[in-house]
Amino acid sequence: MPDQIQFDEKRRKAITQCSRCGFCRAVCPIFELTKRPITNARGKMILLKEVMEGKLPVTEGVAQALLRCTTCMNCTVNCPSGVDPQEAFKAARKDMVRMGFDNLFKAMGEIVEKYGNIYGEKERHDWGHKKNGAPYVLFVGCVGTYREEESVEETIRFLDLMKVDFTMIDEACCSGVLEDVGYKMKDELAKRNVRELQKIGAKTLITTCPYCYRVFKEHPAYKNLGLELKHITQFLKDFNFGVKTEKKVTYHDPCDLGRHAGIYEEPREIIRKIAPNFVEPRRTRDNAMCCGSGGGLRGSFPEDSIEISRNRLSQIIEETGAEILLTECPSCVHNFRNAKLRKQKIEIYNITEFIAQLLQENMSGARSEA
Amino acid sequence: MNIEGYEFPEGLYYDKNHFWARVEGDLVVMGMNQYAQKMAGTIVYVGLPPEGKKLTQGKNFTKIESGKWLGKVFSVVSGELVAVNEELERKAKLINEDCYGKGWMFRIKPNNLDELKNLMTDPEVIREWLKGEIAQHGKK
Repeated sequence: MPDQIQFDEKRRKAITQCSRCGFCRAVCPIFELTKRPITNARGKMILLKEVMEGKLPVTEGVAQALLRCTTCMNCTVNCPSGVDPQEAFKAARKDMVRMGFDNLFKAMGEIVEKYGNIYGEKERHDWGHKKNGAPYVLFVGCVGTYREEESVEETIRFLDLMKVDFTMIDEACCSGVLEDVGYKMKDELAKRNVRELQKIGAKTLITTCPYCYRVFKEHPAYKNLGLELKHITQFLKDFNFGVKTEKKVTYHDPCDLGRHAGIYEEPREIIRKIAPNFVEPRRTRDNAMCCGSGGGLRGSFPEDSIEISRNRLSQIIEETGAEILLTECPSCVHNFRNAKLRKQKIEIYNITEFIAQLLQENMSGARSEA
Repeated sequence: MNIEGYEFPEGLYYDKNHFWARVEGDLVVMGMNQYAQKMAGTIVYVGLPPEGKKLTQGKNFTKIESGKWLGKVFSVVSGELVAVNEELERKAKLINEDCYGKGWMFRIKPNNLDELKNLMTDPEVIREWLKGEIAQHGKK
């Protein structure tokens, strides 16, 4: 078992390159909440520098400090020195675990292995839609299935209304989140997913969860998938929906879809087709503030996670005056819905869920006129 | 009364979904019991439905969440939801801190107080039930 954090050349360079300017403070969702230096990238980089130089021992406190990050990449995008702090923190988390500083996600790993999902839910919702020969296979992931079930139902209904020929599989957790919190992906679950996805005979894999999208795209366990991969917004951007809303609509860029995967335009192309009154928040695209649910924060510091979400939601409401907040990430939707106060009248949806409702209203309206 | 290491105050009614009921005037107040709040971990969200919602005893009407756990909230009596604990909106953790007091969840105008007979009050009955729950889910 290693007795120290491994500072390879890449990590040393990142740590010494950090000029400790503090630009990252302005965009860090946790620093915005706590105002505590250690919660921000600058503080953590100083911490790692002290450890690297042998001035600070590695302790449980260091491990906890490194966990307090959503890995939103806002620091990375705004760093004038070109440093990617969140990569350094994720690597350090792995070292901490190797050194014996297990965190609460060890239990999550065991749960994922036993139940095939991050929540330990024994019963899986059967979405149906299982058939061979469909060109598309839809993968919805754990958060959608177990925490935003109604949203997924609407997305499925929407795809049916758009006459998309798709199938689904008995999913196992993509398990990529374990890599971000100090552990390893569950290879057997990845193999099971690959097997099921290849067996079903589809040519294109569509994901509703940006995090699953990233795992399928980037993790070596999925490199031989053999299917074209699309996030659902990439898949839908050229569709015509035939419905519009007059309501004021805004969009929140999920970190995993935007900064991590570079998908900014496709959701906007879809929204512009259905919402002539589309407004952007001030902090948008690669400067969008995080919803607080990523990087394991919802599990490790859930109160922080909800407060960050509340801050972002308040920011959006104040800056846009929107009636409808759209995003396309089950984790963002879930955190926002948990954070929303009763007095806040804004409605929160995934894009596909919202369009499904517009289509339903349209059909109901047509029926009553007939 | 302390049952298997958990507080179950006298004078309350307890259901098998881990909620308690207390009669206050012509209303029934409900909340979560101590065993359940400890097992849940730090509670971060309770769904607060609109007042006026019709409730049925034993039927779930909203949800409650900690970091990664999600649970259903079941009504202790049939009736109409007349008040929610708005403090829980910003501080759901009150349920962990004071589940029988400041962490109360809902006030219900009951259709028929006789339904409370379906809930548990006898310490020995509660004990046997709780032992079964602990055997199945563990304890914290």
